[in-house]
Amino acid sequence: MNGRTRLVAIGMHLILTVWTIFVLAPIGLMLISAFKSQAEIFTKPLSLPGSLNLSAFQRAWNIGIGSFMLNSLLVTVLSVAVIITTSGLAAYVLARSEAKVMKWLYILIIASFAIPVQSVLVPLYQMVSGGHMLNSQLGIVLPYAAFGIPFTTVLFYAFFLEFPRELEEAARLDGCSRLQIFFRIVVPLSGPVVASAAIFQAVFNWNEFLLALMMLTEKSVRTLPVGIYGLTTQYSSDWPAIMAALTIATLPLLILFILAQRHFVRSLAGLGK
Amino acid sequence: MPSLEIDNVKKSYDNFQALKGVSFRAEPGEFVVMVGPSGCGKSTLLRSIAGLETISSGAIRIDGRDIAHDDPSQRGVAMVFQNYALYPHMTVAQNMGFALKMAGRPKAEIDAAVQRAAQILRITEHLEKKPKALSGGQKQRVAIGRAITRSPDVFLFDEPLSNLDAALRSQMRIELGRLHAELKATMVYVTHDQTEAMTMASRIVVLNAGQIEQTGTPLELYNRPTNRFVAGFLGTPRMNFFAGRVVRQDGSAISVQLPGVDLNLDLTLEGEGPGVGGEIVLGARPEALDGAGGIEIKGTTAVVENLGREALVYVDTGALRTFDSESQEGYVAVHRPYQVEARFGAHTSIRLDASRLYAFGPDGRSIAFPRSL
Repeated sequence: MNGRTRLVAIGMHLILTVWTIFVLAPIGLMLISAFKSQAEIFTKPLSLPGSLNLSAFQRAWNIGIGSFMLNSLLVTVLSVAVIITTSGLAAYVLARSEAKVMKWLYILIIASFAIPVQSVLVPLYQMVSGGHMLNSQLGIVLPYAAFGIPFTTVLFYAFFLEFPRELEEAARLDGCSRLQIFFRIVVPLSGPVVASAAIFQAVFNWNEFLLALMMLTEKSVRTLPVGIYGLTTQYSSDWPAIMAALTIATLPLLILFILAQRHFVRSLAGLGK
Repeated sequence: MPSLEIDNVKKSYDNFQALKGVSFRAEPGEFVVMVGPSGCGKSTLLRSIAGLETISSGAIRIDGRDIAHDDPSQRGVAMVFQNYALYPHMTVAQNMGFALKMAGRPKAEIDAAVQRAAQILRITEHLEKKPKALSGGQKQRVAIGRAITRSPDVFLFDEPLSNLDAALRSQMRIELGRLHAELKATMVYVTHDQTEAMTMASRIVVLNAGQIEQTGTPLELYNRPTNRFVAGFLGTPRMNFFAGRVVRQDGSAISVQLPGVDLNLDLTLEGEGPGVGGEIVLGARPEALDGAGGIEIKGTTAVVENLGREALVYVDTGALRTFDSESQEGYVAVHRPYQVEARFGAHTSIRLDASRLYAFGPDGRSIAFPRSL
């Protein structure tokens, strides 16, 4: 390594270090605050907790974090399943069809990225309400799926375009129908892209707040973000409990990411081809 | 063993005609090799036989039954792809048995077929491995095995050896020859490599720009090409072509004058000549220019390619230059059946023997052949 590339490498590491600290600092703050008392948080916000106080976790659990988590899990798993299945099939058809109308459809799907959730809140609420799905898991799973499908379709589309055609042709000669080619050849070899799509959507839907706040008003169906929000009141908030609840809420995603991280990086590296 | 008949097959994409009415017949048990430059339509034709492309018109018959509109899996063909196209998530055995599994055959039958094919190809010890654990040659063997387990009427090969290194390629050529003799199956093989065509084919089909230029046994094509394209396509280095002029004609006997050659060359026409004063192209294989007879033309050595027991010498003769061959820069290629000390600029000579020359008319058709052929 010569001096110049060494200098560049040191510079890069420096930038990455600063960036990592920037990203991890709030998480670290959340973690240490969860073990502090309410008074400690305000008097010594940046110091380590004086003693390992687990009472905040207990209070958080007592307000029903367990059931919020179960709701979140249900909503996330369902919506991700719908997103992956729908996007996978749609993207495969889009990537393989020669028809012009499919190209337009694809452009339309990309264009739908541009629609912010906030702009359709009212009609969306009316639709869910009109369908008698307020305060039900389905009422939140369907909008989540609708907002997740475009991005995932684009992700899958890029992957399927690169998928070796010869494998599909070999399968045709071996007697597979289109659907069999998809499920027996393409799907088993789509692990990386499915993993990254699943992580993306799981993170997004797990943390989603606005729609959940609107559609899920009853405590029994609340997801984690809305449930934790319930720990704040107008005049006082139990900050250690909120931090403890957030810590609990972060754990499942952290585990998911660590498990699938290899696939995640690999499929993102291939994006934009 | 069934026959394969291609009957006036046409295929066009939007504005491009890939196949302009191709017809030939592969007799039962024949090894037909389709060769041609890239874009000549050979792969399109093979894929049409497999059912991966739909043809615009014409018929494809196996044993008299038109299969042109059947589903690929119902045609009784199996294809070996250039990039092997093995399913990475299945073991070798699962890859080979997949077609039978899709056809709903009992497990015992599938296992037996896979075992038999594995024995023929000597890959029994690899059956439980995944494709990524295999070398290129082994992968290609598995791909061939996958075709064998289906016991198809016709085997199709799409440049199966082009991803292998030179040593492995010549080994696989021998192996494919053995396989053909053992299975006695009808095989259609696409390649752009003329060595593969010459060594393996019972019959060669030369395609160019979506049309068949000539079909015949390798030696028929090499010795008596019907036109300049076939003459130039088969043989390395290529046939030397010289532009000349007919100076005398007496019935089928003509005399041709070449630039830089003092004496006229006397040839006997088998086809219609261009007439006195007309332009004519003479062709000489590199091995026909190293001999004792004929007219000596002096020149200097431009390039020597020593191949061990033989050598290819590119000779700069000054006035007499070849054309239609970008790679040779006008030098005349001569095959010497002995070693040549490589020396740039050394004096050497070629011998033009009229009895060993080809002649081509203005339309490119062959009109005269070497006397011995």
